Amino acid sequence: MINKFLGFTPKKEMLPSQTVTPDTEIDLSSHKYQKIWLGPNHPGVTGNMAVELTVQGNTIMKAQTHVGYLHRGFEKLIERRLFVQGFPTSIRMCVAEPDTNEYFIARATEELSGYADAVPEYANWLRMLSLEMARLQGLLRGVPGQGGTFALGIGVQWGVYLRDLILDRFEELTGARVYHMFIIAGGVRGNLPEGFKARMEDNLRDIDDFIVKIKKLMFHNSIFKTRAKGLAVITPDMVDKFGIVGTNARACGVKRDVRKDNPYLYYDQLDFDPPTATDGDVYARTWIRWQELIQTVDLIRQIMAKMPETGDIRCKMPNVLNWKIPKGETYVRLESGRGEMGMYYVTDGSDKPRRINLRGPSYNHAISVLEHMLIGADVADVHAIMVSLQTCPPEIER
Amino acid sequence: MKSFIEKLNSKYVLQEVVYQRDDLVFAAIKKENAIDAITYLRDYEDFTHLVLMSCVDWIEDGKYQLLYLLHNPILKNDIGIKVYIDRENPEMVSAHHLWKSIWTYQREMHEAFGIVFPGSPRLKENFVVEGWDEIPFMRRDFDTHEYAEKTYFPRGNRKSNDPAEYMRKKLYPSQPVTAKQRKDDK
Amino acid sequence: MNIKDILTPFTAWANVVKEPVTIKDPFNREAAPRYRGFHDNDIEACIGCGTCEAICENQAIDLIPVDGVETKDGDSGLRPQVDYGRCCWCALCVDICTTDSLRLTNEYTWIDTDPDNFIFTPGVTPKSWYKKEEGWRKPGNGYEFYSKERVDMEELHAEERIDSFIEFVKGYSKEQAEKEADRCVSCGICTATCPAHMGIPEYIKAIRNDDLEEGLRVLYETNPLPEICGRICTHKCEDVCSVGHNGDPLSIRWLKRYIADQNPSEKYKEILNQDTSKSNGKKVAIIGAGPSGLSAAYYLALLGYECTIFEKLPEAGGMMRYGIPEYRLPYDQIDKDVNYILELGVEIKYGVNIGTDIKLEQLGKDFDAVFSGTGLHLGRSTRIPGTDNENVYFATDLLREIVLGKDIYVPEKIVVIGGGNVAMDITRSLARLQQIKYGKVDCTATSLESEDIMPADREEVVEAREESAIVDPGWGPKSIEIENGKVKGLNVVKCLSVFDENHAFSPKFDEDNKKFFPADMVVESIGQGMDLSYLSKEFKEKLKFTERGRIKVDEYFQSGVEWLFVGGDIIEGPDVIHGIANGHKAAVGIDNLLNK
Ligand code: SF4
Ligand code: SF4
Ligand code: SF4
Repeated sequence: MINKFLGFTPKKEMLPSQTVTPDTEIDLSSHKYQKIWLGPNHPGVTGNMAVELTVQGNTIMKAQTHVGYLHRGFEKLIERRLFVQGFPTSIRMCVAEPDTNEYFIARATEELSGYADAVPEYANWLRMLSLEMARLQGLLRGVPGQGGTFALGIGVQWGVYLRDLILDRFEELTGARVYHMFIIAGGVRGNLPEGFKARMEDNLRDIDDFIVKIKKLMFHNSIFKTRAKGLAVITPDMVDKFGIVGTNARACGVKRDVRKDNPYLYYDQLDFDPPTATDGDVYARTWIRWQELIQTVDLIRQIMAKMPETGDIRCKMPNVLNWKIPKGETYVRLESGRGEMGMYYVTDGSDKPRRINLRGPSYNHAISVLEHMLIGADVADVHAIMVSLQTCPPEIER
Repeated sequence: MKSFIEKLNSKYVLQEVVYQRDDLVFAAIKKENAIDAITYLRDYEDFTHLVLMSCVDWIEDGKYQLLYLLHNPILKNDIGIKVYIDRENPEMVSAHHLWKSIWTYQREMHEAFGIVFPGSPRLKENFVVEGWDEIPFMRRDFDTHEYAEKTYFPRGNRKSNDPAEYMRKKLYPSQPVTAKQRKDDK
Repeated sequence: MNIKDILTPFTAWANVVKEPVTIKDPFNREAAPRYRGFHDNDIEACIGCGTCEAICENQAIDLIPVDGVETKDGDSGLRPQVDYGRCCWCALCVDICTTDSLRLTNEYTWIDTDPDNFIFTPGVTPKSWYKKEEGWRKPGNGYEFYSKERVDMEELHAEERIDSFIEFVKGYSKEQAEKEADRCVSCGICTATCPAHMGIPEYIKAIRNDDLEEGLRVLYETNPLPEICGRICTHKCEDVCSVGHNGDPLSIRWLKRYIADQNPSEKYKEILNQDTSKSNGKKVAIIGAGPSGLSAAYYLALLGYECTIFEKLPEAGGMMRYGIPEYRLPYDQIDKDVNYILELGVEIKYGVNIGTDIKLEQLGKDFDAVFSGTGLHLGRSTRIPGTDNENVYFATDLLREIVLGKDIYVPEKIVVIGGGNVAMDITRSLARLQQIKYGKVDCTATSLESEDIMPADREEVVEAREESAIVDPGWGPKSIEIENGKVKGLNVVKCLSVFDENHAFSPKFDEDNKKFFPADMVVESIGQGMDLSYLSKEFKEKLKFTERGRIKVDEYFQSGVEWLFVGGDIIEGPDVIHGIANGHKAAVGIDNLLNK
């Protein structure tokens, strides 16, 4: 779309998106088209995934997502493990916010074995804290990362630094920086370390500064504006058709947020209102995420203020080695930074799950939505579109 | 939710109805009615959001169980429609005309379980594995451990001991053994 | 296009003059105190139970023998070895470690050129990080992977049980048993310590699976007297249970009892499905229907031998019936176990006294082999002045007479000398009889050993006290006060220590610290002796004896005379479970001998 900035972009009506659909057969032998592969080695910042593009000049005629570069069969592997052994594997299904998967496994097993209400209050607050911290670190990478796709590298560096500070907090709370393995069936694996809140508050203040700075850098930036506005528009009627969730849906005015719609943990005790926008383009999505950044910082402050000082971190449960769960199934969900995530969890009365199936937002966003959005787009915008849809390959192929 | 389920039940016979949570119900519908019911739910009952489509292998019953999990964004509740299909000859009517996202699920299920959805776009394309010549890998009878053993080669520098067995050999080797131990010894 | 939008981003240049945020020395950054880094293991505390291996979802742990760590009761001698090619530092192994020996330090850098070095044994392979105190340990705050608390066993209250001999331990309900069985980590450490090496984790698993028939089959593999052992076994296994390192050990004995209790005796045959109809034509005589004799008969019967047990007393069970009071072991439970053995075709001849009625040599001629488990039925005396009085008794004699239904002398004040389980048994039996006769209890047990080293099971002492008997340990008996031929009481002096530095028996007393226990009757219960009078003089010469006067046997309990096998209390113990184990092994020995 940089062409538009220069003033000689074809008019919208002339874009091939009007004439081609994802299923259009393209005759490569006509020499009018060229095939190029984007990926699988880290195109932009979204992990190992490839997009096979058929282009005519700079314009994409057809796009196909290819995944499988990260497939390790986690769902299958978890089927072969005890209930308690599942969570260290599950977190690898989502690099961006691993904590969500820990929560799913814990929550689903608790629900199916009748311990859902037994989880101590303190543990639930700590779960919320770690989930919001996960969202925060994700956004600290995601918001400036969107700038990065337009070659605005400096914001990324600020974001990575601040994210590292949050990882420091994760490290002292959970014992690990990225794969925390903190939320476990029955509760969590540690209490809040001494002085944690004060150190967190310090970091949050830094992030407050960053929020202002990044606003100036990105949202008062003519390049960013020009390139992001009007790019890859999601319209409200697409939302249900494609299964679009989270910020991608909220950016076009469809206000869906699991935290509000189907409150879990103690989100109903927190004061927040998910931001929405109407444009549905890359700019709107980034803008919403920037607002969520503010909101997440606020939520962490609220959680730290409201949570009990101390308490039990795990309820009494059966011996983890002998734990069996009666036959049953459930679907547990939460609102991750990328939208609704969930897990379908089936048990069969044995000591291992019968089936688990992760519903990652990227499953739709990075395949059917991305393939649809890329048609007619400029090659230079592919990264931007991918990042704006918050593509995360590991949760697609699991 | 209850009255709605009763209404649905009079239209399409529901089986195995389980109220898992206040906002989540699972129910099984006969294969031939399933897509009909799902279309009805989508168009007349506001279950417009397809959350997930999944499959469970009930190998002992000779069945695959498909799951269509639908969400009603107005009432904020979910219904999981379960459909049992024959495991020997797994085929299901495609639902790709209902949601733009569903063909991906069907493609995955074709690869992972070998289920055929006639008419579903790009069904036979590889999804996550390439050049796979084993049985579909999410089936219960695909043994990941065995596969790993034969595909990769262990370094051979590890060996473990069972504490009870080890103690028996060390501390009371001449004690009469039980049938199981006799088997282990061989 | 807004000019502001072109200029504003340049504010980022302000950072040029800012202090960099980079870590100055990235190589020495200390991780958080809770960080999950490399493993360390306290080798002394670890018992090689393998629970860490069981929970590791990546199969990163192997249990391997380690130099300098010996395999012994309660310690497999193995230690966990970690493969860092597989470990994901989840620390589940730390969270479940039964002894709390395993931990993760917060060290996280390790560079090596040889990949095989990344397989190492924490605590054994020298590593720099062991000195680090910080790192991941079990979290606490209610975080447990298995319950540390034993499920309480319901018992009759002291007031309810003191005036009768009915069984006071009620036994677990299904729910309680399953809850208790759930605590087991299935390590199998206990199996080695059990004299009969029972498949403890297997039968506990059967309880969890609610498959009590399978449980009974597991029990009978190694123990043909489960009802009895489920009640009165000395449960040495519980002393070494891994779960006991950090909480209450599993209630192994009560779980065994639960399995046996829940299976009705009529169904034993069907459940165990043991066919003994095919005889191999060889005959074995067994002397004494006590635990070792019954056990030997059972295993021999399974091998097709025709077994005949010769029992002096009118009923089977030996010390289990005539030594252990009914409130601990009801007779119908003994019958349940014995009857099953009889169902297998074993014959018992009651009232036969070997040595007088039939000569041992005769048995040797009539049978292909003989097993003798005659037990310890003679009381031992303190030999202090006054023990020759008629109102000074041996505990074993009194206990036997109670069972035989004889009227025994029960005065208002009684003193028992002894601190073992038999002393507690007689104290508690007499207390009951006093309660029945006088409506009150005045029975004192005193032992040489002080409270902390009393040989009796702790619970026996506690329960005796609950039943208003007095247990006053730490006194050495000096003399029995006799007046006009009547017992007046027992004189004791304080005992300072029982054993010398070499753990040899050599009591020391404080002669000035005296005490007098008034009593009308004194019962001695300081140990039992064996009665080998059935061995003729010539026969004795053929046998070999140990320095302690016991018959010398080889590892299959074969004595110096080829056809004679000896086991039970007279060889090892005294307790039921050793008897069972001896009987089992002797059966194998006899089979080896006769099937040569
Ligand atoms: S669980 Fe603990 S005690 Fe048992 S083997 Fe492992 S480290 Fe040793
Ligand atoms: S930390 Fe986790 S992966 Fe590593 S050895 Fe322990 S249980 Fe296994
Ligand atoms: S009873 Fe104790 S020692 Fe025995 S297997 Fe269970 S946990 Fe291990």
